[in-house]
Amino acid sequence: MVRIKSRYLLCEINVTDKSRLLLLDDRAVMTAVRTAVARIHGDYGAAQCIIGVSVKYMNAHTGMVFLRFPKRCYKLLWSALPFITCMETRGQKIPCFLNCLHVGGTIRTCQKFLIRYNTQQLHRLLPKCKNEETRETSAEEADSEEDEVV
Amino acid sequence: MKGVSTQKKSTGYQRVVLKNSAPVLENESTRLSAVEFKQFIITGLKILYGEVGAALTFDVLKYDEDSRTAFLRVPSRGLVKLWSSLTLLGSYQDQACAFRILQVSPFLLALTGNSRELQLD
Repeated sequence: MVRIKSRYLLCEINVTDKSRLLLLDDRAVMTAVRTAVARIHGDYGAAQCIIGVSVKYMNAHTGMVFLRFPKRCYKLLWSALPFITCMETRGQKIPCFLNCLHVGGTIRTCQKFLIRYNTQQLHRLLPKCKNEETRETSAEEADSEEDEVV
Repeated sequence: MKGVSTQKKSTGYQRVVLKNSAPVLENESTRLSAVEFKQFIITGLKILYGEVGAALTFDVLKYDEDSRTAFLRVPSRGLVKLWSSLTLLGSYQDQACAFRILQVSPFLLALTGNSRELQLD
């Protein structure tokens, strides 16, 4: 069977200022990844980025990103992700860092992990919520996440 | 790795030594010191392989300024990166240049002679 295999990295973008997270979009993430790889791995890394590297899903509310890498070079490109310190969008530089949560072979496995992860986070965060409002918004965000990826 | 006499294979750590004449420059009279030479090679590694490539540890064991020939030593897993970046290094301060690698061997002693140039009597 000839099948093109790839690796999907589920990453979480952490920013200090939550409101600025909403400004990010998939193109900003893509340029940040490309520049980081070019700096860390030079022309060789930049060439690996041309074919098959893309941002498959980006949720600005929760900061979840699915990055697609080809199977042959995903470790090399993965090693450059911790060196991303800021993303530039619409003329603003937003300091942030990427946390890689899961590596999967297909988008579906990553989505299943994301749903489990969100329920775990919900169980952790809800007891701490002081009032009804925050409780509702966090539950809403987790639900919308589940539906969107499909 | 042990100190100076590191040419023996020890515990699976092998160093490869390159003897190369470098660079063949357009303007023959340019002089390069040993430090500039090493910096030039590091720049080449950085262009092709980025920060990770520039961190590759290699040594310039001996450098002859007049002929611009040097002995380089590199761990064997870094040989491909070093050799490819030397190949693709094309210009030094706006002059075209080329590296010619004369010999590669895991043993320093083997670089003293070349059996092709051996004269019998």
